Formats: sequence, structure tokens, C-alpha cells
Amino acid sequence: MKKYNYFLATSLMILFSIATSFAQDKEAKITLTFEKIDSLNVCKALVMSEGQPVIEVPVKLSVKRLFANLPIGDAIATDSTGVATFEFPNDIPSKNGKLTIFASIVEDENYMDTETSGEVNWGTVVVTDNSNVDERSFSAGRDRAPIYFIAISLVILGLIWGTLLFAVLQVFKIKKLGKIQEIKE
Amino acid sequence: MSENINIPESTKHETFTQQEYMVMKDDLLRPIEKIGKAGKIWIAFLVAVLLAGVVAYIIQETKSKYVTTSLRDYTMWGIYISNFLFMVAIGLVGVLMSAILKLTNFEWYRPLSRIAEVIAIGAIMFGGISIVVAMGRPDRLLNLFLHGRIQSPIIWDVIGITTDLTACIILLFIPLIPSLVTCKNHLKNLPKWQLKMYNMLSFGWQGTPEQWSVLKKTMKVLTALVIPLGVIICTITAWLFATTLRAEWDSTNFGAYFVSNAFLLSVAVMTLATFIFRKAYNFEKYLTEMHFDKLGQALVLMALIHGYFNVNEYLIPAYKMSGLHENTLLNLFTGKEAAFYWSVVIFGIIVPILLPLFPKMRKPLPLTIISIVVLIAGWFRLYLIVIPGLLHPYLPIQDVPASWTHYFPSVVEMTVVAATFAGLLLVVTLFSRYFPIISVWEVAEGELEGKEEIFNYK
Repeated sequence: MKKYNYFLATSLMILFSIATSFAQDKEAKITLTFEKIDSLNVCKALVMSEGQPVIEVPVKLSVKRLFANLPIGDAIATDSTGVATFEFPNDIPSKNGKLTIFASIVEDENYMDTETSGEVNWGTVVVTDNSNVDERSFSAGRDRAPIYFIAISLVILGLIWGTLLFAVLQVFKIKKLGKIQEIKE
Repeated sequence: MSENINIPESTKHETFTQQEYMVMKDDLLRPIEKIGKAGKIWIAFLVAVLLAGVVAYIIQETKSKYVTTSLRDYTMWGIYISNFLFMVAIGLVGVLMSAILKLTNFEWYRPLSRIAEVIAIGAIMFGGISIVVAMGRPDRLLNLFLHGRIQSPIIWDVIGITTDLTACIILLFIPLIPSLVTCKNHLKNLPKWQLKMYNMLSFGWQGTPEQWSVLKKTMKVLTALVIPLGVIICTITAWLFATTLRAEWDSTNFGAYFVSNAFLLSVAVMTLATFIFRKAYNFEKYLTEMHFDKLGQALVLMALIHGYFNVNEYLIPAYKMSGLHENTLLNLFTGKEAAFYWSVVIFGIIVPILLPLFPKMRKPLPLTIISIVVLIAGWFRLYLIVIPGLLHPYLPIQDVPASWTHYFPSVVEMTVVAATFAGLLLVVTLFSRYFPIISVWEVAEGELEGKEEIFNYK
């Protein structure tokens, strides 16, 4: 009997995956709407499938950042009208104030993975003071080293290498003195 | 013995004659004329190890460094950098055993100075090579010079090492000029190219009073220059660590700590070199027991100074045991590295403080054994600064591959490090085979101390 166990388990797994894939076959469409209620940013994701609102399906909300999307809280399930309502934070930084928000259904039992996105003007514009970038400092680039530091470094290097050059010149002076002695002899 | 004591110091060398000088010259130049079988085997062995290192380096550069070395994200500096620190430390031997003793009129420096300078040059050279070997992209070496920031300690180190190396080479060469003429005039059974080389490098030396005056003045200036240069190099090397954010290196004491360590290792390496040259070239008459006695005393002094800095470096932060230091200090005192750390303290500091206090331990063989122990402990002390320091960052190490959390050098790394030692020894050996490793005129000058006579060293 044991030797059939492996066969049985494999068959069951295949059957299960076929059943799951058929179950996930339903397509759903998400529509994102953005509202301002009092001072709150509210984002609503309406999930429809075959013309009907989809209830109790978890929707994930995220916002586009430089490399990947930043999740906004946990997934929220749609209500009886097929809407998942999110309170969107108002302190997400953005260059021009615009944010691209994504709503998605991922790995649901009944619906295929789907995603939609929308752009809204909810970002906090970050004003960076880069006026000190051009200042000379230790942390600046090679072109922006402090003048006094460059001057001191050059003086020290000049003194040391000057002394070394003096020493090398003395060797040639020794040679010259030797030649004078040869002529005398 | 009692007769020696009765001779006043000022008249002690009155009997030094031209004849005695000729005997001295014969003794000191003999190693250049004859290379025995043992010498040839030694050189072949060093060349073989050096070549093995070159092959290992080629393997490292042609295959993935992730495979050929044990360097990872945390231990991005392994034994290459700890070896670099060691080389820089023993590179200070020229400063201590030649320059400082010379300027402070300690006459026993005379036969040691050239040995010390050659070791210093070899050590600084292979210290520099150790850094290049440790570079992830050695093909970008030139960028350090072209695009380096003058504000960065790495650039200070690059400038410092090249400057110190140049200064040491010039300081070695200038007092060598009269010796080269001595070689040219005295050694006849040498290949023609070698005699030509002596002739060319002696720069028309005639031994005139004017030439002596220029030579001595230049030597004095350079001797005074290499002292701050050597100290600066050691200090900058310490700053490479002290300016990097790691708890173990967060120290204002680091520069002085490194310099004191370098002086201790310098005395040890000088003792070892003196012992080897004394035995290999039969220089017992010139590298006497007195030298070992003095070196033993210097070893005690340097170990005491280094011990003092160790107290400042480890025990005072341990007294506070702040959160940042706790992690790394407890690892050294009672943790994984404890046996290693305490061995280094015992053999690297306590042994050289205590044992050479006894005159019997300042004899050549015992002192050399102590020095070898000090050098090995010194190498591992620098290893303990680099590796545990890197493995204890401010933020805890989490969710990384197991190989990132510890470090043990790979075969390639160990071969390359062995090759740097072979390279250093090869530089010293080859120099002593082609040039007088003990300066004949400087030793003779010491014998003539107190007389106004200008000796013709030709």
C-alpha cells in the first residue's frame, strides 16, 4: 500500500492546483477614487467583477517610491458595496506633490491578481536646503576642500618634498666636487 | 675585564689604526664577495614564496574575490590590512634605530643603522603593496591620485607612504656613497656590471673634506626629517581606523597607541635582524653582546610605554563600559576572542616588560627568542584591532549569510601575506649581498671618535 502513497499524494496535489487555478479564474477590476473628507485623505477602491461589486475581498494599497512600492497599512476587505476604504497618510514626501497610488488584489482564492493605479496630489513637497552643498568643508568633494586645509597641506608637502629635492641636489653637488678634485689632481 | 674598566672612554680607541681599518673592511665586505650554498638556498626559497604569492594574487584577481578570499561585507579588511599595519609598524625601525639614536648621540647605533634603514624600506614597500592587494578594484589605483579628496585620511596615507619611502631611500643612499667607493676599490673578484654599478652610484666620490661636509650636512637634515615622517605615517594609519565608525576604533588615543606599538615592534625586529646577520655573516665583532644588552633595555622601555597606552586604550573604556564599547570589549576580555586577546597581552607586552629586566635574558639568543614572540604577538595584536573591530558594528548584524559573521583568512590570503614577508626578507637579503649591510665608514668613524684626524676611507 505504501508504494501507492506517493502516487496518491501527487495526484491529489495536481487535482488541488487544477481546482485552485479554476477557482482563481474570475477577473476583477479595481477602480480607484480619491476624496478629501474634512482634513482626511480617503482613498476608495471599488472592486467589480462581471458587472457586480465584489464583497469580502482583501485589497492592498501602496504608494510608489524610488525603488519599490511602500505598503499603506494592512489589506482591507471590500464592504457590501464592493468598496475598500483607506485613510491615506498626509505626510508622504514627494518631489512635486504628486503621488502614484496602487491598489491590488494579490493571491486571492477566487480572483486573479490585479492592480490599478492613480495619481493624486496628496504628497508633501519636501523643500531641501542645499545651499550648503557649495560650501567648502571636510565632508565636501575634492573641489570643495577648505582653503586653509589645502594651503596647510601644500605647505607641509612643499617643505618635505623640497627637503628631499635638496638632498638629491646635494648628491649632484658631491659629484661636482669630485670632478673639481680630479682636475686638481 | 677589570683592565677594560680602567681604560678611560676618551682614550679607548686611540689604538685604531689604518691596519685595523683594513681588517674591519675585509670583515664587513666579505658577504658581498662570497655567497655560500645556504645563502643561495635561502634566496631561492624566498623567491619561490614570493612567486607563490604572485600566483595567488593572480588567482584572486581573475576569479571571484567572494570565492578566493574570506572578505565579506563586514570584514572587508582582513589580514591584508592587519599585515599592512604590521609592515608600517616595523617600518618605523629606521626612525628609532637609526635616526633617533644618531641624533641623540647613542654611539651604538653605528653598525645597526643601515640594517634598520633597509628593513624600513622593505617594510614600507610591502606595506604599500598590501594595501593594493586589499583593493577591490586595483585597476582604479591611479584614481586615488587623480580624484582623491585631500580631506580623506586614505589620501594622507597614500601621500605619507610614498613620501616616507622616498625619504628612506635617499637617506639609505647618501651614506652609502663612500661605501660604494670602498666596494669598488676593495672588491675585485666581482662581475664587471657590479663594479660598474658601484662606480656609477658613487657619484665621483673622492673623500675630500668638502664632499664629507656636504654628505654629513645632508644626512643630518634627512635624519631629522624621517623622524616626524615615520611618526606621521604610523599616526595616519591609526587615523584610518579612528575616523571610521566602529566602537573599537572610537579612540582619541589611537595615533599614540600605534606609534608606541611600532616602536616596540621595531626594537624586536632589530634584535632579530641583528642576531641573524651576526650569525650568518660572522659579524660577532661588530654586532656585539653590548648591542643586545642595549636592545633588551630598549625593549623593556618600549613595552612599558605600549603597556601604558594599552591601559588607556582598553581598561579606561572598560571601566565605563558604555553600551557602544561593551559589545566589543567583552568579546575581547571574556568572549570569543578572549584567549587570543590575553595571549597577545601576555606575550606582546608583559613578557617584553619582565624578561629582559634580567641581564641573562638580554644575551643574544634569549633576547632573540623574546623578540620573535613579541613580533608574532604584535602581528596578532593588529589582527585583533582590525577583524573584531569590523565584526562589531554599531548596528547588530542580522539576517545575513553565516559566512559574513566570522572571518578566517583563505589560503589565497595567507599565501599573499606570506609572500609579503618573503619579499621583505628578499629585499634585505639581496641588499646585504650587493652592498655593505654595516656601514664601514660609520663604524670606523665611531672607533675614531674624539680624534680630529680625517680618515681616508677609500
